[in-house]
Formats: sequence, C-alpha cells, structure tokens
Amino acid sequence: MNPLLDQLAVAALIVGAAAFFVIRFLRKRAAGKNCGGDCGCGTSKGGKLGH
Amino acid sequence: MSAPVSTPIAGPAREVTRHVAIAGNPNCGKSTIFNSLTGLRQKVGNYPGVTVEKKTGRFFGSHGEAMELLDLPGSYSLQVRSPDEAVSRDVLLGRLPGVARPDVIICVVDASNLERNLYLVAQMLELNIPVVVALNMVDVAEKNGIVIDLMALREKLGVPVIPMVATKGVGFIELRQAVSRSPLPPPTICAQMPIVLEREVMALAKTLPCAPEVARGEALLLLTLHDKALDEVTHHDRSIIDATKTSQQRLRTAGIDPMSAPVDARYDWIGTVCAAAHHAGDSPHALSVSDKLDGWLTHRFWGWAAFLGLMGFMFFCIFVIAAYPMDWIDAGIGALAGWVSSFMPESDLRSLLTDGVIAGVGGVVIFLPQILILFFFLGILEDTGYLARAAFIMDRLMAKVGLHGKSFIPMLSSLACAIPGIMATRTIENRKDRLVTILVAPLMSCSARLPVYAIMIAVLIPTASALEKAGIMLSMYMIGFLAAFGMAWLFKKTLLRGETPMLLLEMPPYRLPSWRGVFVRMWERGLIFLRRAGTVILALSILLWALATFPKPKDPETSPADAIAHSYAGMMGHTIEPLIKPLGYDWKIGIGLIASFAAREVFVGTMSIVYAVESDAEEDIAPLRDTMRAEKHADGSPIFTPLVCIGLMVFYVLAMQCISTVAIVRRETNSWRWPLFQIAYMTTLAWLGAFLVYQGGRLLGFQ
Repeated sequence: MNPLLDQLAVAALIVGAAAFFVIRFLRKRAAGKNCGGDCGCGTSKGGKLGH
Repeated sequence: MSAPVSTPIAGPAREVTRHVAIAGNPNCGKSTIFNSLTGLRQKVGNYPGVTVEKKTGRFFGSHGEAMELLDLPGSYSLQVRSPDEAVSRDVLLGRLPGVARPDVIICVVDASNLERNLYLVAQMLELNIPVVVALNMVDVAEKNGIVIDLMALREKLGVPVIPMVATKGVGFIELRQAVSRSPLPPPTICAQMPIVLEREVMALAKTLPCAPEVARGEALLLLTLHDKALDEVTHHDRSIIDATKTSQQRLRTAGIDPMSAPVDARYDWIGTVCAAAHHAGDSPHALSVSDKLDGWLTHRFWGWAAFLGLMGFMFFCIFVIAAYPMDWIDAGIGALAGWVSSFMPESDLRSLLTDGVIAGVGGVVIFLPQILILFFFLGILEDTGYLARAAFIMDRLMAKVGLHGKSFIPMLSSLACAIPGIMATRTIENRKDRLVTILVAPLMSCSARLPVYAIMIAVLIPTASALEKAGIMLSMYMIGFLAAFGMAWLFKKTLLRGETPMLLLEMPPYRLPSWRGVFVRMWERGLIFLRRAGTVILALSILLWALATFPKPKDPETSPADAIAHSYAGMMGHTIEPLIKPLGYDWKIGIGLIASFAAREVFVGTMSIVYAVESDAEEDIAPLRDTMRAEKHADGSPIFTPLVCIGLMVFYVLAMQCISTVAIVRRETNSWRWPLFQIAYMTTLAWLGAFLVYQGGRLLGFQ
C-alpha cells in the first residue's frame, strides 16, 4: 500500500472520530439550552427537583 | 446507555385538527392505547409510574383527520403530589408554555377498579373540556364478576363511554369515532359542590388571569391547597394567593372545610354513579389467583427466596444460553480480522482496522446475546406485574434505611439503565427522597456493566460451571443493591435528613406477558446497544488505537510492549498508576479505567485494543480472556489475579463511569452540584471497595 495513502486514510479516520465527539457535544449542548425533548422541562424551573 | 428520548411526532405532515390528551390513573393502559392509536412504541409496563413525561404522537380520526395525541403520566387526581403528576395537571389546565390545551380528553378508566378511577373522571368533567371515557380492561372486570351497565354509566357521566380491551385491540374503532365526532360538546354533568363553596369558586375564578373555560377548575384547585402549598405556588400573583386564603377563611367560618368538601362532593357523586352502573361480583371477598400468588411472592421469607431465585435463574440463563451465540460472534470477529489481515499488506491502516476497530467494537458486540437475554427476563418480570411485588418486599428493607418505597421502581429500572431509572424518580413526591434515589440509583448494576462482569468472570474462573459464574454475577448485583441501600441510609442520616413516608403502591393484577411487547423491547435495546457500538464505541476505538500507537518509537526494533508504554495512552496509564497501584492494577488497566469514564462497556473494548496493539503476532485474534489471563508483571507474576478480577468488578459496581448518567442527573436536579458530588462519592467508594478487596484479600492470604 502506498505509504502516503495509508497515512492519509489513518489521519482521516482519526479526525473523523474526533469530529464525531465534537459534533455530538455541540449538538447536546445546543439541545440542553432548550431541553431538546418535549417534556416541558428544558432549563426552566419545570425540571427542578420538587417543583 | 443512551437516554430514552421523547417520542417524535409520527405520520405525514398534515394540519392537526385536534389536540387530544390521554389521561387516567397509573397502570390503567394509557400508553397501550397511545401506542395502538399512533403506531409508536412508547414503553408500557404492568406497574404504576412507567410514563413520567408527556409523550406526543399523531393519529387519524375516523374520517382521516390528523390529530395530535398526548400521553400523560398517570395520576389519581389533579391534586398534585409528585412532579410527574404536575405534568398532567399543567397540560390539562393549559399552563405549559408551548403546549396547546387539549381539545378532547380520553380519560382511560380501569373497569375492574371503576369506583377509584372515577375520581379523576370527576375532576376531568370539571375542566370544561370534552371528555371521552375509555373503559379499559372490561375483560378483567368480567372475569372478576363485575357487571357494568354501560347505558347507565353513559347517562350518569353525560359523556361517551367506550368499552375496551386495549391489549387485544378491542374498542379502537369506536374510540376513534367518538374522538372524531364533531362538534364534541363539553361535559354538562359534574359533581355538585356545596353552594357556599361554589359561590367562592366562581368569585375567585373571576379574578384569575386565565381563560374563562379553565378559570373554574383552576380556582377549585387553588381553594383545596393548604397554606404551605399555596405559598409555593409560583404561577399566580401574591394578590391571588391572598384572595384564595381569604376565601378559604370565609368557607371555614361557614363551617366548610375547603380541602375536604370538594373531595366529599366528588365521592358522593361517584357513589350515585356506581349505584346505578356498577355491580360487584357475588363473592368480592373470595381470593383471586393474584391474591393467592401474592401470599407467596410478598411473604416475609418466601418473597425473598422467590426474588433471589428469579434473579439467580436469570443470570444462569444469561451464561448458559448466551454462550453459544457469543462463540459464533467471537468466531465471526476472528474470521473478519483474519480476512482483513490476509487481504491488506502490513500498514498502519491495517493495524487500525484489526487492532482498533475490529478488536474494540467486536470486543463489545460479543456481549449482545447476554444483553438481549437480560432484557427478555426484565420484560417478562415487568409485564407479569412481578416488579410491583419486588418493590413491596423491598420496601421493608428500604424503610429501614430511610428510603421511600417508591424508590424501588426507579432502582429496578436502573438495572436496565440508570437514565430511565433517574427519570422515573419523578414519581416520588418528596424532594429529599427523590434526590437520595437519584444519588444511589446508578449503584444498581446496569446492563453496560454486564460486559465488564462477564469478561472478568471469564478471566477469573474460565472453566467453572455456569452456576458458579451466575453466582458471582448475582453477588455483584447484590453488592450494588447493598451499596445503594447503605449510601441511601447515610444520605438520609446526614445530607438529606427527613422522615420516611409510608409506601402506597397499587398492586397490579398478574398478567401473562405480551410476547410481542417483550420481543419488541429486546429488539429495541439490542438496536440501542448496536447503534452505540457502531457510533460511540467505534469512534472511541479509533481514538484509543491512535493514543495507543502514537507517538511511534524512533527505533523500529522497539518491542510492541515498549512502544505502547511510550504512547500517549501509555503515558496516561502511567500518570494514574500511583493512584491505582494499591488496587493491584497496572498502567494498562489504568488506560481502560480512563477510557471507560465515558461508558463502562468501553473498558472491554479498550483492553482488546491495548492487548491487540501490544501483541507482535501477525494476526492477533486470540480471545481477550486468554490474553488477559496470560498478562504478567515484570517479575513474571500474573496481573489478573483473582483479587484483581474481583476488585475490578467491585470497582465497576460502585463507580459512576457513565457520562450520559451525569448529563441526566444534571437535567433532573437542574444543577451541576449534585452530579459532581455523585461522581466524587461514587469514585471514592469504588476506589475504597477495590482497595478493600485487594489489600484485605492479601492480608487474609489470598492472591
């Protein structure tokens, strides 16, 4: 296998894996601002314990 | 494991003509009706408190008109006691921002418990929203000798009443027709309140800043609140609270208790409805099959024996039955790695595919059969109604440590995954009790721990019988139970002091499990597990391979063992080695501990990668178990001694190691304080547990 191709393929896979976690984190953070679900809790007091 | 997310709206985009809410007492079949109408797969179970959030879906009326359906958590009344009940009340009163007040309520009523279920119906009729009563489980009522006069019931309630057997699909056509009827008038009959009370209700309603159609219901709810609850009301101005208190005072002067008078009026009305429409069987006091079974399964001694026996049998089957498909998967993974090795020339890419992706993902996927069998048994226990009995026998123990009996359902749910377990704590009324349950629920052994236990048991006693392996597995689950109870006791004595309330739990009748439901749940959990393996674990495997491979040694003659020791992963492992050395772990186990902070099952994949990268064999496809057993310290002594294996299992029983759980605790407590505290206490507990096993065992002369 061409060593350059080999290195490129490995680098692409590693960057892809890292990007997966970054995107996942950003999406979760964005959802967290408005809960992301339809439970009505969000970051509002509705989700707060006992309220 | 991943969080149970809100159900998406199903069906094509067509304008919604009606918003329909399904309400009713807990465990009366609301979610079954919701699933049948929408074609969705909202979780159902034969015990109260399965639905703790509202769920939405779409269905079509008898003329094809699109309607939005809301499945509300079960509640016995609109007088809210717990956060899940508050969701129902807020939706029905139109208090929830962004959620339309329902145009129709389908009030599901358990026909075998008509009198009790009618209380909520009485309150629904006061809301000025059209109501359709779905009289569910008429087959059970018939079997119990209960005769319900439908015509009389319709006449007394003044709303459509549809007899149904939701689990068998009976009554859905009639229900769709009733909900589609246009116009659907609001109820005209409801319980008559004493005239003085009615006058106060109407006067207060006029002052409320809400829609006129909900004002009466809202005023009635306010008037029945006691002083402390009134002070906690946040959705009304202080002037309204003061007006309510003055109103209550006037009622008391007139000799009417504002809290009990509406309740009495509703029960009087229920009495007249039941007298006309409900005839109990000839022998109401005869013991039913459920009662007889309960005599054994909730017995002080036999109840425990049955519980432990059932759990033991479940783990025995997990080992015996899963062994065959696990061997097949193992052979498949080995063949795939061999094929890739023979197909590709030696290169970094080949190493990444075989030692990273196939070893990492394959090392986790192999446990799929065990996960499926676990969910098969949990599904049966849920469907039959046994879990409510387990909660009952556990309550005696839980009361001793100060835990609320209702905590057991969330804790049992945590056996599958801590996330639904923590969400299920919404059924607990008291804030402190709920918090204690959230703090200890992740100590229950979830399915993500299963791969860790299984691999450590395989390393510990590879040739032992399935019974012995099941025994060790059961012990790990029991350690989780005991740790949860012990920590709950400690929290109740220190941080979150408070009285233990009495458990009021409705015992659902025993039912035959719905096999379709059990297999659908197995399928769904299997898919979640595989999706996770194909996403999070795949990506983590690639990154771990990179961390275990780079930086590459300058000298090409360096042995693979030395190369990994100097890699980034090796450096990380070496950094925490002083902390974990007292537990008998080396730096390679340290890599596994760090990597599995995101999710416990990653430990197995990490070990596969670390040992595969380390191996200099052309095709390293030896089972992980054998590789781990062969691992030695520099002095030639084995790394995975019995004490290390047991210590590692104990560590994983007690450690938090799940980023999704941290996120859900953050959401449910609305603060970072509690999840951070939880990580700190559980990690400390895990370290102490593993330390005690290893050092204590060595002191006693074990290896």
